[in-house]
Amino acid sequence: MRPDANFLSKTFIAVWLVALVAGAAFGVPLVRDQTGARREADIADRPVQIQTDGFVSSDACQACHPREYATWRASYHRTMTQVATPQTVGASFDRVRVDQVNGRPMFLERRGRELWAEIDEPDWDGVGDAPPRIRRQVVMTTGSHNQQIYWYATGHGRTLGQLPAIQLKADQRWVPRRSAVMHPPDVELVSESGSWNGVCVACHTTLGKTAFSTPFGSESLAAQTVDTTAAEFGIACESCHGPSAEHVRANSSPWRRYALHLAGRPDSTVVQPVRLDAKRSSEVCGQCHGLWEFYDAAAERRANTHGLAYRPGDTLADSRFVVQPSTNLNTPTMKGLLGTDPNFIKDIFWSDGMVRATGREYNGLIDSPCYRDAKDNTRTLSCMSCHELHKTADDGRPAGEWADDQLKPSARGNDACLPCHQGLATNVSAHTHHTPESDGSSCYNCHMPHTTYGLLKTIRSHQISSPSVQASLDTGRPTACNLCHLDKTQSWTAQSLNGWYGTPLPVTMSEDDRTVAASLVTLLKGDAGQRAVIAQAFGWAPAQRASGTNWMAPYLGLFLNDSYDAVRYITARSLRTLPGFTDFPFDFVAPSEQREAARRRALGLWRDSRDRIGRRGDPELLFNPDGSFVADRIDRLTNQRDRRRIFYRE
Amino acid sequence: MPVDYARRHLRLGWWWLLIFSALGLALEAFHGFKVSAYLDVSNETRRLMWRLAHVHGTLLGMVHILFGLTVKTTGEAAMSRVRSTSLALQWAGVLLPAGFFLGGVRFYSGDPGLGVLLVPIGAVQLLFALWQVAASVGATRPGYTQIQEGNAPQKDGQKKR
Repeated sequence: MRPDANFLSKTFIAVWLVALVAGAAFGVPLVRDQTGARREADIADRPVQIQTDGFVSSDACQACHPREYATWRASYHRTMTQVATPQTVGASFDRVRVDQVNGRPMFLERRGRELWAEIDEPDWDGVGDAPPRIRRQVVMTTGSHNQQIYWYATGHGRTLGQLPAIQLKADQRWVPRRSAVMHPPDVELVSESGSWNGVCVACHTTLGKTAFSTPFGSESLAAQTVDTTAAEFGIACESCHGPSAEHVRANSSPWRRYALHLAGRPDSTVVQPVRLDAKRSSEVCGQCHGLWEFYDAAAERRANTHGLAYRPGDTLADSRFVVQPSTNLNTPTMKGLLGTDPNFIKDIFWSDGMVRATGREYNGLIDSPCYRDAKDNTRTLSCMSCHELHKTADDGRPAGEWADDQLKPSARGNDACLPCHQGLATNVSAHTHHTPESDGSSCYNCHMPHTTYGLLKTIRSHQISSPSVQASLDTGRPTACNLCHLDKTQSWTAQSLNGWYGTPLPVTMSEDDRTVAASLVTLLKGDAGQRAVIAQAFGWAPAQRASGTNWMAPYLGLFLNDSYDAVRYITARSLRTLPGFTDFPFDFVAPSEQREAARRRALGLWRDSRDRIGRRGDPELLFNPDGSFVADRIDRLTNQRDRRRIFYRE
Repeated sequence: MPVDYARRHLRLGWWWLLIFSALGLALEAFHGFKVSAYLDVSNETRRLMWRLAHVHGTLLGMVHILFGLTVKTTGEAAMSRVRSTSLALQWAGVLLPAGFFLGGVRFYSGDPGLGVLLVPIGAVQLLFALWQVAASVGATRPGYTQIQEGNAPQKDGQKKR
C-alpha cells in the first residue's frame, strides 16, 4: 500500500483546488479595491466608457504594439479627457479658495480620492437675491497641455457641469473661464452645463455618443435625458485606426500574424493612416482638427445615437459638411448655417477664407497649394508630411518635448519643404533674400506665419501661403514679413516683394499703411484677434532680432488694459520678454483700475529707461523727436479700431 | 561505453547556471548603463524575450542538477528510458533559452522573431523528460526504501570511479 501516493492524488489536489477557488473569490475583489477603480457600468452620474460597435479600447492594443501604445500614452491626445482623480488633475484641490471667478469664490477640497467643489449654481433661474451655493463632485477633466477644464456631476443623468474657473498650466493658476478664451467683454457667459455631453464628446473621446433624448440646446436640460457614453475617453488608438475588434480577433492567430510579418503586407483588418493616400490620411486628422457641421438634423440624430459616422479611411465629406468658405460658401448647407448664425464664418476665418482659429488646421491644409494643387500623391502635402503620431525609436527627444507638437525631427526646419522644392536647396538665399542662417530663410516663417489664434497664443497658419500685402490690406491679416519686421510699413513690404518676386504693388494704399509700421496700424486699429496676433509677435524672438526691442514697451503697455482678457494676457507675456520688464508684476484678470495702474507703470518704466533713446524721432513708429508719442495719430488710429465682437471657436 | 548520466547532468547544470547567471548579469548591466536597445519601450519584446531566456536557462540548469541528483539517488537502473530522458533534457536546455534569446534578437513589434519557434520544441522535450522522471521516481519506491535504509543500488559508472 502507498498511503502517501493517495495523499498526493486526493487531499493535496483538493487543497489546491479549494485555494484556487478561494483566491478567485476573494483575491480579485481585493485587488480591485486596492486600485480604487469602480466598474464603469456602475457609474450613473457621469459619461462612461463602454466598448460597442466593434471598438475594443487601447487596452487591447498594448500587448502587440507596445511602442505605439507607449508613445500614444505620452501624448496629449490621451489626456484630452480623463476621469478626475488626484493623479489626473493638474491643479491642487487641497482646501483651495479661488477668488478669480464670476460671483462668489469657488472652494475646492479632496475627500479621500474624490474631488469636490463648492460654487454658485451656474444654472440659477434668477429667483432670489443670489444664486444658491452647490457642492458637487468633480468627475472629469478636459485638456492637460495648455489648460485644464474641470467638470462636475450635475446629478441629472450623465450631464456634466463646468467649474467657473480653469487651470492655466504654464502659469499654474486659476482664471475665470471667460479669461481663457477670446470672449467679448460685454457678452454674458452662458452656462456650460451639458456642453461636454453635447459638444466636447465628439472629438475629445473615441466614439462619443451624446445620447440626448432631444437635440442638445433644443430645450432645457431638465426636460432631457442624457446617457452619454464613449468607447474610450481621450483620442485613443481607434480614433485614427478605426474600430479594431475584427483586427484583434483575426490576429489572435499567431499563424496570421507571422504570415503578415514575413510577407510585409499591410493588415486589411485595421486602418493605417500613413498607408492611406495623402488626402485620405489627412482626413483622419481633419475629423477633429477641422471645422464641420452635420448636413442635416437627421445626421445629428444618428450621431447622437450611434456616434459620428466617419471612420478612418472614409471620405470625410460623405458624412459631414466641411466648412470651407473658399469652395462652399454658396452651397445651400452653408447658406443655412449663415442664416442661423451670420458670424459663423467671420469668427473663424479671415475674410479671404483662410482659417484664423486653432484646432482647425485641416481647413488650412486643404486650401494650401501643396495639397490642393498636387497631382502626385507622393508629393501631396498631408498632416503626416510633418507630424508623427507615434514618436519613432530613433527620435532622441524626450517624450514631453515630442508631445508638444508631435512634429517629425525632419520637419523642424527647412527639410520639411525642400524634398519637394529641391531647386531652392542649393541656394536658399537666392530665394529668400536673407542670409541662409537668418530667420528670414526659414520656409515656415514666410509661408506659415503665426496668424492663427487659440488658447491664449498664436500658432502657425496651416495654410501654406506666400506673403501678400494686397491680401493683408484686404483681410487685415498681417503679412509674414511684417510679423517679423514689426517696425516696417506695408509700403516697405510691398516694395520688397515687388523687387524680389515681382509681386504686383497694391492698387491703393492708405496714408497710414504707407507711413506707419504695419504692426502698429494693426495693433491700434485691429479687432481683438488681430491685436492678439501682433501682441504675440512683439514677444517672438525672431521679430525682436529683426526689429529691435527698444520701442516695443510703450505699445505693449498701452494694451495692458485691453478690453479682452486674452489680449491682455498675451500682451503681458510679450512685455516680460523685453529688457527691464522680465519681472513686471501684472495680473491680467485684476480689476480695471489695477490694470490701468500697471499700464501707467509700464509707460513710466519705459520713459525712464535709456532704451527709448534708440528710436527717438522715428515717424514710422509714431515717436516725436523728443521721444514722446505722436499722440494725435495714435488717437486717430485707436478711434478707427474694429470693435466687432470677437468670439473664436477655439 | 557506459555513460554516467548523473555526472553529466550535474556538470551541465552547473555550467548552465554559470552561463545564464552571466546572462543575467549582462541584462542587469543593460539596466545600469541604460542601453536603449534593451530598455526602450520599442524594445519591450526583446527585453521580455531575453529575460525569459535568462530565467529558463537558469531554471533548466537547476533541472539538470536535480536530474543528476535524482539519477544518482535512485540509480539509473531504477529509471526507465534514462538515455532518452537525458537527451530530451539536454535539448530542452538548449532550445528553450536559445529560442527565447533569438526571438528577442529580431522581432516584430509585440511578436518575437522566428527564433521563438524553438521554444515549443524545447518545451515538448522538457515535458517529456519531466514526465519520464516523474513516472520513474514514482515507480522506484523500492529503491527509495533502499536509500532510506542505507542500501542505495550500486551502478556501473559509480563502480568505475
